[in-house]
Amino acid sequence: MSVESVLTAVGLAKTFHLGFFRKKVQAVKDVSFHVKKGEIFGFLGPNGAGKTTTMKILTGLVFQDRGTASVLGRPVGDLHAKQRMGYLPETPYFYEYLTQEEFLDFSGQLAGVAGTVLRKRREELIERVGLGHARGRPLRKFSKGMLQRVGIAQALMGDPDLVILDEPMTGLDPLGRKEVRDLMVALKREGKTVFFSTHILPDVEMICDRVALVVAGRTVSEGPLASLLSAQVIGTEVHLRPSAAGTLPELPNGVDKLVSGGDVRLDLPASVDVDTFLLSAVNAGAHVISVQPRRESLEEYFVQQANKGNAKVAQS
Amino acid sequence: MKIVAIARNTFREAVRNKILYSLVMFATALILGSLVLGDFTLGEEIRLTRDLGLYGVDIFGVLIAIFLGVNMLYKELQLKTVYTILPKPIARYQFVLGKWLGLVFTLVLQVAVMGAVLQVALLIQGAGFETAVWKALWLLMINVIVVTSIALAFSAFSTPFLSGVFSMGIFLVGRATPDLVEIGKKAGGLAHTGVAIAVKILPNLHLFFPSGAVVGAKHISVHANLVDMNYMVSATLYGLGYSIVVVALAIVIFRKRDFV
Repeated sequence: MSVESVLTAVGLAKTFHLGFFRKKVQAVKDVSFHVKKGEIFGFLGPNGAGKTTTMKILTGLVFQDRGTASVLGRPVGDLHAKQRMGYLPETPYFYEYLTQEEFLDFSGQLAGVAGTVLRKRREELIERVGLGHARGRPLRKFSKGMLQRVGIAQALMGDPDLVILDEPMTGLDPLGRKEVRDLMVALKREGKTVFFSTHILPDVEMICDRVALVVAGRTVSEGPLASLLSAQVIGTEVHLRPSAAGTLPELPNGVDKLVSGGDVRLDLPASVDVDTFLLSAVNAGAHVISVQPRRESLEEYFVQQANKGNAKVAQS
Repeated sequence: MKIVAIARNTFREAVRNKILYSLVMFATALILGSLVLGDFTLGEEIRLTRDLGLYGVDIFGVLIAIFLGVNMLYKELQLKTVYTILPKPIARYQFVLGKWLGLVFTLVLQVAVMGAVLQVALLIQGAGFETAVWKALWLLMINVIVVTSIALAFSAFSTPFLSGVFSMGIFLVGRATPDLVEIGKKAGGLAHTGVAIAVKILPNLHLFFPSGAVVGAKHISVHANLVDMNYMVSATLYGLGYSIVVVALAIVIFRKRDFV
């Protein structure tokens, strides 16, 4: 095993046979990626791309038909590897008759933690995920966001080296999302590896070291965000305040224009010479408020790759 | 340790789901029923309480054993709680064993409480501490362990409704084992062979309710001494052995499952 290899998937495939007629559904066709020690790795893909099935393979809930996977250098399902792994399932369900303390104790016991360490860790995690106000309350009375927080806490009860989170931002408000982002960054600082799936791309851009994008059951790209996204300027956003006469130079074809409160916001394509345009705007009496070069965003990359993948599926 | 944690949580689930509150209803009905009905029977009050009480323990015990057993694994899958538990450092066999032990502990406690209520009712009517009644209760406890193990095995791959129907079917057939053997003998031919095979595979639950039967040319009755210790030991070993085999089967099924 390479020292840096924490999570590896090579050519994973899984077909389910669902319903009375055993209808074949190919959830995962060819998923491969490699997560390095100590990084925050984003696992991206549109709905139905196979992210959750891949995560279930990695956590031993589902057996793959083809391919290999290893967790912390050991085969999936190995108890030593599971000992060092924490997992939050998508939209987690817990034993609703338990209080959060009882549930975290139970989770800790299953992770092999006992005695004062168990109690200390439980209390630390309750505070860390911001649920100190809900002590003694049964989980059935928790909101979706609170359950998500308990889910994160239970994943950390064994003090894992690898944390796998399936859609951890689901059900959280913007403040909660920020707290989870901060938590992931803090886990990274503690030397842990974080592997998570999400639909919320700004979060990925903010915290991920590397990402893998899966579309229609196949990995279409993997690497650091900077290497995946084009560094070239693909357009320029210009914010102008026209003169009292309201005159502006003639706009080239294909320019998006948004007028708001007397100001004009333009999205100039890369083909437009920005210097010449700005000069003519100033000559027409306009005041330039801001000029912002626009590079490819993760969202654009995501949409572009998803469309390509779906087009391939449609052709086949 | 991990198996114990799962067993404890299973017991907690049964208690907090108020299943055991049915015990209180049973106990109340039993005491009131035997005390009231006793007034209508001349000198047979204690006999009536014994019969009524043991049938009550039997029927309630089996119904609760099936209800808890068929829901045990299925509910974990349906409510998706298993997604949080199985990725933790436990093996799937530990999970099934923990669930089973929690279930067994719940049912043992339930039979013990019902037995205590029956004993109190007997004491109120002037009977003493009755060994035969406690022997019968012990056998009924083994009976519910066998039945709940079968229900648990079904719940590893089937819905609670179907599991319940199958488990109840096996209970009824298993309880009628001597009658089935007689029917097979009378029918002869293929039917005899079929019944002989079925009797070998299905549990002989009649062993756990021997009162009224003839064992070794001797009429058995809970109103006398019931059965001897040899019978008790062999019936107990048979019941526990059968349960272990069935739970092992549940583990084999559960180990291969995908949790979609």
